[in-house]
Amino acid sequence: MSGAIEYFQFVLAPQMLIGLVVGVAVILVALGLTIIFGLLDVINMSHGEFYALGAFIALALASIGLPFWLLLILVPLVMIPIGYVVERGLIQRVFHTSERHVTTLLLTFGLGLVMEDVFRLIWGPNPYRPETPIAGGVDVFGIFVPSYRLFLIVVGAAIISAVALIIYRTRLGAMVRAAAYDRHMAASLGVPVRHVYAGAFACGVALAGLAGVLLAPIYSVFPTMGRDFILMAFTVVIVGGMGSIAGAVIAGLFLTQVQAIVSLYISPVWSDPIVFGIMVAMLMVRPQGLFGRLGHG
Amino acid sequence: MTYKTMMMAALLSATALGGAQAADPIKIGVVTPLSGTYAGIGQQVKWGLDLATKEVNAAGGIMSRQIELIYEDEEANPPAAVQKADKLFQSNKVDFLTGTVNSASTLAVGQAAERAGKLTATTVSFADPITGDKCSPNVFRVNAKAGQQSAALAAWLAKDKPKAKIFFLGPDYLMGRSTVAAFKEAAEKTGATSLGEVFAPLDSKDYSQYFGQIRAAQPQVLYTSVAGNDTVRLLTQMQEFGLLRNLLVLGASGTVTAQNIAAIGKAANGFATGVGYSAELNTPENKKFVEAFKAAYKTEPDLYGADSYGLIYAYKAAVEKAKTTDTDKVRDALRGLTWSTPQGQKTIRAGDHQAIQTMYVAQVTDGKFKIASEVKGEDAIGPDTCTRF
Repeated sequence: MSGAIEYFQFVLAPQMLIGLVVGVAVILVALGLTIIFGLLDVINMSHGEFYALGAFIALALASIGLPFWLLLILVPLVMIPIGYVVERGLIQRVFHTSERHVTTLLLTFGLGLVMEDVFRLIWGPNPYRPETPIAGGVDVFGIFVPSYRLFLIVVGAAIISAVALIIYRTRLGAMVRAAAYDRHMAASLGVPVRHVYAGAFACGVALAGLAGVLLAPIYSVFPTMGRDFILMAFTVVIVGGMGSIAGAVIAGLFLTQVQAIVSLYISPVWSDPIVFGIMVAMLMVRPQGLFGRLGHG
Repeated sequence: MTYKTMMMAALLSATALGGAQAADPIKIGVVTPLSGTYAGIGQQVKWGLDLATKEVNAAGGIMSRQIELIYEDEEANPPAAVQKADKLFQSNKVDFLTGTVNSASTLAVGQAAERAGKLTATTVSFADPITGDKCSPNVFRVNAKAGQQSAALAAWLAKDKPKAKIFFLGPDYLMGRSTVAAFKEAAEKTGATSLGEVFAPLDSKDYSQYFGQIRAAQPQVLYTSVAGNDTVRLLTQMQEFGLLRNLLVLGASGTVTAQNIAAIGKAANGFATGVGYSAELNTPENKKFVEAFKAAYKTEPDLYGADSYGLIYAYKAAVEKAKTTDTDKVRDALRGLTWSTPQGQKTIRAGDHQAIQTMYVAQVTDGKFKIASEVKGEDAIGPDTCTRF
């Protein structure tokens, strides 16, 4: 019996805690993706590059001496107008066709490739790493956890709750959900649908940018970093239900825990096939995902 | 057509033909990662090749023919590398090929070279099989292989920490597995014990999931052969979790390099590796090379830059000895060739096409590599295990 407790305390629990940090990171990236999909019906293939853009903007701002804590506010503020312009200037131009899924997917895919190369042109191919803003670690029930990872869990949970509150409990959120449910009806009731669309896209990419700032000290910053989380984030969105915030949170936590625990027992190379296998099974059994679309219940 | 234009056309074709006979450039194809996780390595390869080519061309080229380098992005992906190599052989008609970084790419491109009847050389890949049981008559390696690096590092470890307890962590592909196997063998021969090993996928984000295993094993030494961004993540995450205290980290020569050492920061201190080159080498040839490299690219060369630089001079020496770019004659000229490089004299062993060179142990102090020890080329090379030729 004591063997089982020790196994839990020294092997399983630390692994689950580490999985939780990755889970929060994945959810932060998936959150913007699922909002953009749920509302605009756009599969944003450049989402990973917006995540990288956030990290690079933070890098540039930090180099002129701004403290990390200020960047957590500044970077999303810089990202919002960028996202707004991208939506109005690029996505809206190909949005109103019958081939919307294909055209927006190709457009954002191309945008992602261009952004990745621009990062390389400006910052070069080598990695950068900002110093961890909170050094040291703490004991949580006898498990050593770096303080910054604990901070990440807390801040991540706060951001996720804030986004859910705004969408489900405010007038602004009601307009967003209404526009997602039926944009013609919402427009005729006076909801400025165009601005809601552009604003939602801007907020989605700002969330990705914020994730970039938060995760840079752990995962470092380099041009192709956008590819790191994007597959996992897409999987989370598909399993959780496209556009569902609760779905993204539950699927994100579930899939990263599966990855963390599975890697204890079998070769880590198998953790990705298992996660994607779950996604394939989900698509076959319940193609709409765990929860329905944004604004649909 | 008027008389005038006919004259012009005749003149033009005459100069074009004449050019083709006298000063047709020697084309060297370079398939190297210009994007992806190994882009930084590809950048050094390119700088090394460019610098040597510039020098050779300025001094009159090879047999008064200029060298022309043609680059293709390998994306650190063997199928892409083969496709680009085939393109260079078939449509660009290159005389020689180099640049591959990923060991699996080097092996795959070696087969493409055999099909095309051309020669290729790697200046980066460490995996022993390239000049061991998977050797090819068309493939040469001018950089030190994993076995040479390991032999040098193990000899140093046996002196510094006798009977060390070692844990191994490698990237899960050919290079990772072969470097771990090579160091394990070399270290066990000198009295060290192995506690366990784990192989993580290439481009892993988070290594903390393996820290439980490492902590439980209580090693004195961790040997790793991850490279590029992966090293930044591994070492800084280990530092974050307090795992670097009382732990000596050893690695392959590509683990900590000029590209990632700044990003790794303090977490790199104490890291030691067996290398065939360091910008710190105190010889006149190396000082001259480092200065020229810095003047051109505003950064120090690392082993990839130096080995790639040296390759152009090896090819030049071989072509001048063979007096042709013909594959069979150049191959004969390269076998047993001794030439000078910034790293000192190198000799290509005829039996397996592996370069023999002096090896060093370099250790990081305050963010910079310092030479900690030196091992003679003959003592680090190991037996010839190639049976194909």
